[in-house]
Amino acid sequence: MLRRTTLATAAFLAAGLLALTACTGGGGEPAPTTVGEPDPDASVAIRLVLEPGNLDIRETAGSALDQVLVDNIYQGLVARTPEQDIVPALASDWTVSPDGLTYTFTLREGVTFHDGQPLTPQDVVWSLTTRRDTPAWRDSARLANVTSITAEGQDISLTLSAPDSTLLWNLTGRAGIVLKEGDAVDYKTKANGTGPFMLADWRQGDSITFTRNDAYWGDPTAAAEVVFDYIPDNQAALNAALAGEVDVLTGFDANLQEQVEANGDFALELGQSTDKGTLAFNQTSGPLADKRVRQAIRQAIDHDAIIEALASGQTQYGPIPELDPGYEDLSDVAPYDPEAARELLAEADAEDLELTLTIPSFYSTTIPQILVSDLDEVGITLDVNSVDFTTWLTDVYTNKDYELSFVLHTEARDFENWADPDYYFTYDNPEVQDLYTQSLAATDEAEAADLLQQAGRLVAEDHAADWLYNGASVIAVGTNITGMPSINVNERLNVVEIAKSNG
Amino acid sequence: MIRYTLTRLALLLLGLLVASVLIFVTLRVLPGDIASLIAGVGSSTEQQDAIRERLGLDRPLPAQYLEWIGGLFRGDLGTSLLTGTSVVDELAQKAEVTVPLGILSLLIAVVISVPLGVLSAMRRGRADGTALSVGAQALAAVPVVWAGMMLVVVFAVWLGWLPAQGFPRSGWNDPWAALRSLILPALTIGIVEGAMLLRFVRSATLQAVGQDFVRTAAAKGLTRDQALIRHGLPVVGLSVITVLGLQVAGIIVGAVVIEQLFSLPGIGRMLVADVAARDLPKVQGELLALTGFVLIVGFVVDLVHRVIDPRQREAS
Repeated sequence: MLRRTTLATAAFLAAGLLALTACTGGGGEPAPTTVGEPDPDASVAIRLVLEPGNLDIRETAGSALDQVLVDNIYQGLVARTPEQDIVPALASDWTVSPDGLTYTFTLREGVTFHDGQPLTPQDVVWSLTTRRDTPAWRDSARLANVTSITAEGQDISLTLSAPDSTLLWNLTGRAGIVLKEGDAVDYKTKANGTGPFMLADWRQGDSITFTRNDAYWGDPTAAAEVVFDYIPDNQAALNAALAGEVDVLTGFDANLQEQVEANGDFALELGQSTDKGTLAFNQTSGPLADKRVRQAIRQAIDHDAIIEALASGQTQYGPIPELDPGYEDLSDVAPYDPEAARELLAEADAEDLELTLTIPSFYSTTIPQILVSDLDEVGITLDVNSVDFTTWLTDVYTNKDYELSFVLHTEARDFENWADPDYYFTYDNPEVQDLYTQSLAATDEAEAADLLQQAGRLVAEDHAADWLYNGASVIAVGTNITGMPSINVNERLNVVEIAKSNG
Repeated sequence: MIRYTLTRLALLLLGLLVASVLIFVTLRVLPGDIASLIAGVGSSTEQQDAIRERLGLDRPLPAQYLEWIGGLFRGDLGTSLLTGTSVVDELAQKAEVTVPLGILSLLIAVVISVPLGVLSAMRRGRADGTALSVGAQALAAVPVVWAGMMLVVVFAVWLGWLPAQGFPRSGWNDPWAALRSLILPALTIGIVEGAMLLRFVRSATLQAVGQDFVRTAAAKGLTRDQALIRHGLPVVGLSVITVLGLQVAGIIVGAVVIEQLFSLPGIGRMLVADVAARDLPKVQGELLALTGFVLIVGFVVDLVHRVIDPRQREAS
């Protein structure tokens, strides 16, 4: 009943908005814009969707924290660009020994934290060591095979017990964050990093404000202030943009392109991302333990129709998205073919299947609607169990109590989950695990990527899950805004170069 | 009167106690917990257990309940597990948005409903009276979300008179900006609640028209409208006060929806976020404060009623 009411409300609303926008039609030609000089005193307002629960970069999970805090407030020895290249940050330079066991970083001099304390080599040693030795800290396991972290002058050396082709990448994330040793700052609500921006204000349930760090060691930020406004609803975000209250929308809906571009003040941009719309199969027991059933589900789903409905993104038929190393086009593994799906189900003696999909309620209903109708086509009845994210974490992630699950996995380079039989994917293939271990141990990047690619194909051929789509970063950028990154902004949003002109 | 007040006060406290147990128990029945959320995707069960233990979530439930209730007597509603801030402080901060929003909504509802309700009763059977009552019926059926969207499209997007969402970061230091940001949300709640109230005022007025004393007054030479305004309206006023007391709960619920829609950093939006994060100590503090507020409003309305209604005064 509730759902029907919501649907009716949505229809009513859509009809009303259509009627209203129809009246404004015709005035939609973009006005010729003259982009003026960037204003160094400008304040830029960026709409984000998910607000972090607290700001504790040490412990609290969630890309909502990484998105705003890493790069802008906190830094590591190395950083990554939106294009996923690894670049210097607090280290001006680094070398790797030929055997891949020793990494030596040259720490920049004259770096200070936001409270004025100097960054010392000991701070780096302490940060990395504490991270490794404190299991409650996020990504601590990623430093597990670092046996020693030492400083000599400005040189920081990491010694490994075995080569790790992902180490530098890991150091660009939480695992590599450098904090002040023994800092007394209340990390849950405040921040003290070395980045180009300082945390000025966090109004919980509303916004986070950054101001330029005038003592920053590198190039100063282009804007004096950046405000992240948390507006969960896309329609409200659209209204805020049209009323000129925000300069950039992230996490937007590409289906609203016409509306947001109507007055010529905004342009929609689509960037690549590592967002993987993952339909996980619990393959420990029951019908989904049968590979033919999993393959049938994959072939019953019209992936192109999903992309069309989202008006953004691209298909992805394997575990690795195009931005990550090891990607290959695996569309041949499970092409859309309802007829073949029906045959597979008959072969597996699994006709008239009833399955339950557990999905966090903040995702749009587009995906479950398509799945229900596609699977119904081949004789599978899909019940949709919409739960809040916390319930999903307990039931699906922790207790693995589910049949099908949908979640958007945003993290880049997360293949490790397919090599971990205890992960909620419940996928256990020793060959894949072995290839992944080899890839980690590879000292050559190309070789590591090649091994990942082989493993990725195996995962796809086992139909360990289905990848409904590889999402895009959908952003709408004000025409007076420059320097807004467009790639993977749901995971990381570096706003150092963002600038606003009063043109 | 004193005995009456004391009885009502005892009932109020009993109500709060029952509410506290209900709130505590229902929240514990919710699936999912904050430790899994803090640890997140990519964490191990050991990591989650460590966080659970640090937050004290592994202790027996009766002990957790008693600790909470004990704190209440010291005026401590609890602290957030996520940010470590006290619930009282958070409520006070968010009340800066929600309380003015509620008052403004209630004012708008009353200003719309009382004159129009009386008018539509007095003009019943005529075209304008019927139009008013049909209009109110239609408005009361409008989903509050839709009403809000329409107002935003017209006044914020088209005309650009008022902000579409948000609350100024400077807060009430800039009273005009703060007020402006609350006008559309308050109108949204006020119009929908006011439409419901209008129907109530109308039927209460119609009822008053039929009362003996109004007829008597009319018999003594007043016109029917004069009799109604002089002798009937005080009775209508009494029942409106009672309904307004109940309306407060409706406005709080409205605020939860409207604060989401307008991205206002108020109590409603905080509550929704805290439930989603399973920040249970914070949620239970917030819910108890809201329940207490509604109960106290009911208590005050009862007392006011007692004081101003001569019939009830005599009965005691």
